[in-house]
Amino acid sequence: MSILAYNGGAMVAMKGENCVAIAADRRFGIQAQTVATNFEKVFEMGPHLFVGLPGLATDTQTVMEKLRFRKNLYELKENRRISPKVFAAMISNMLYEKRFGPFFVEPVVAGLMPGTFEPYICNMDLIGCINQPTDFVVGGTASAQLYGMCEALWEPNLGPDDLFETISQALMNAFDRDAISGWGATVYIIEKDKVTVKNLKTRMD
Amino acid sequence: MFNPLESAPPLWHNGPVPGAFYNFPGTQRIPAANPITHTQSPVTTSTSIIAITYDKGVLIAGDLVASYGSLARYRNCPRVIEVNPNIILGAGGDYADFQYVKSFIEQKIIDEDCLDDGLKMKPKSLYCWLTRIMYQRRSKLDPFWNNLVVGGLQDGVPFLGTIDKLGTAYTDKVICTGYGAHIALPILRDALDKKTNLNLNDAKALIKRCMEVLFYRDARSFPKYQLGIIDKDDGVKIEGPLTVEENWNIAYMT
Amino acid sequence: MMMQTEMNAYYPDYSTAPIQRQINPYADNGGSVVAIAGNDFVVVGADTRLSSGFSIYTRNQNKLFPMSDTTVLGCAGCWCDTLTLTRILKSRMQMYQQEHNKQMSTTACAQMLSTMLYYKRFFPYYISNILVGLDNEGKGCVYSYDPIGHCEKATYRAGGSAGALLQPLLDNQIGQKNLVKPSSEDLSQEKALAILKDVFIAAAERDIYTGDSVLINIITKDGTKVETFELRKD
Repeated sequence: MSILAYNGGAMVAMKGENCVAIAADRRFGIQAQTVATNFEKVFEMGPHLFVGLPGLATDTQTVMEKLRFRKNLYELKENRRISPKVFAAMISNMLYEKRFGPFFVEPVVAGLMPGTFEPYICNMDLIGCINQPTDFVVGGTASAQLYGMCEALWEPNLGPDDLFETISQALMNAFDRDAISGWGATVYIIEKDKVTVKNLKTRMD
Repeated sequence: MFNPLESAPPLWHNGPVPGAFYNFPGTQRIPAANPITHTQSPVTTSTSIIAITYDKGVLIAGDLVASYGSLARYRNCPRVIEVNPNIILGAGGDYADFQYVKSFIEQKIIDEDCLDDGLKMKPKSLYCWLTRIMYQRRSKLDPFWNNLVVGGLQDGVPFLGTIDKLGTAYTDKVICTGYGAHIALPILRDALDKKTNLNLNDAKALIKRCMEVLFYRDARSFPKYQLGIIDKDDGVKIEGPLTVEENWNIAYMT
Repeated sequence: MMMQTEMNAYYPDYSTAPIQRQINPYADNGGSVVAIAGNDFVVVGADTRLSSGFSIYTRNQNKLFPMSDTTVLGCAGCWCDTLTLTRILKSRMQMYQQEHNKQMSTTACAQMLSTMLYYKRFFPYYISNILVGLDNEGKGCVYSYDPIGHCEKATYRAGGSAGALLQPLLDNQIGQKNLVKPSSEDLSQEKALAILKDVFIAAAERDIYTGDSVLINIITKDGTKVETFELRKD
């Protein structure tokens, strides 16, 4: 089995009308054994910037720390906030540095561009190949299920409330069909002047 | 478990190892010496078959070369054949396997003739029968390494079907095997999208064009080919050897 | 000593031992099947693309096989196994009809399929089967199988190459999973058909082995109705 599927996890981000959402499950497991159900895979990297790191849990945390360090250094040097686009380029760069001995994470970036507050989402593979679609991105062990859900449920110009409903339904139904994802979920809805965090009550089996 | 190959050296030269039985010289049987031989990979091979249906029949074309690896070994190997007045057949892949398959198709036709009931086998029957033969051999893990293309007239209606070495079988209006599936098939499908009901001349022109393109781009191809035609009015005809009109002026080297 | 001459580990070119290589008797020819059962009907759809790797063999291959007036089998996976299995099944159905002078029921057919798949436990038919039909009360039912004959009865099921993409969608839309207010209404035939088409559109977006068109069978007590529905062809 792939090392990317050692701990399990599901992640999805979606664009809406002047808002973006990113959601992930909360399981931390070792293969089939669930160890904890409060494991965060999505991290706040700025007021309008979130990154999700599904994959090998140890790399999730290592990569998060390394990214935070690089982001802080950038912000001190430049004396301004990092934009999601630049942040994504930074992750991609960092992952490609380890092209032949990679970190086993498939990052998802979601945020609003500084100034314009234009929604931004992207994801990449474990060696940093960026994909910037106009609708949604998925990651983790339930990605096939998520693709099916998102392809059917997502529509353009969703408001924050509808976006929350859509992303939650997509995530929950997807990870219910994946044995190593689920056990609770966190959803972040990012708007211009607020970020809403919601913990979903889901099936725990 | 006891494994004589991993234990101590033999007690004397050519003798048994400790714990094993002694075999008298000359009576030793090497278990791997007489294995059942299977066609694990093809030897003398032929390349693509391309086939298309038109309003009143079917065309099947295939070139005449049988290659031995990259060597164009035999240059006159016909592989489009008339089975009976209802059916034509094209084959690609291992030429020896094709000759064997051909031999018992012919035997079956003779058996049917001997019944003297005036009935001729129809293409669907042959297609179905060949599917079973190919599947049986793949189930023995000893497949006939061929792609067979069956064309014919099923009660006056054009029929075109194909079977691969596993017994995967399907029917369609256009069928190409081997390299042709990548190069000729898009040309034929595109032509059929633009004009659904082709006549004999349209179909012939298309096949001619495809054989030309295949000759230019398939390194295992050959300029001489055969064209099998089964037509509602004119019956079966195997034309050829036809020649691809080569024109290398369009190619240039710097 | 014997190893040296026969295998010739140091000089493989001089080895006299036969090269042991096995062909792969299976092929993945793709395809997806979706079935949805209601109180007095069952709908089943299968895409019509037959492919292998990056080649599309044909865009128009029926993967739904009528077993009786009230039973249909949908197959996805290894096509040569599908051809063989369905032919044997068909003859078994005919033998039953001639022995008992009646058609085999959907439930009996479901059990027979399981037995036939398990019979080849150690050289399986590599097929995802979904058998649908009306039971003796006229209620729609769906049976899904793994390649070696494990059988499960359900009211809806997605199988084949896009099974993983489609099943959660059906859980949500038909099973009413994860909904705060699940509707208590019975599933209508129109709704089932609409969902079936929607899920295939979603699958064709992301699964390269699903596309071209969908062939749908709608089975009611009045017989089977066949419908087609176009999908993207790239």
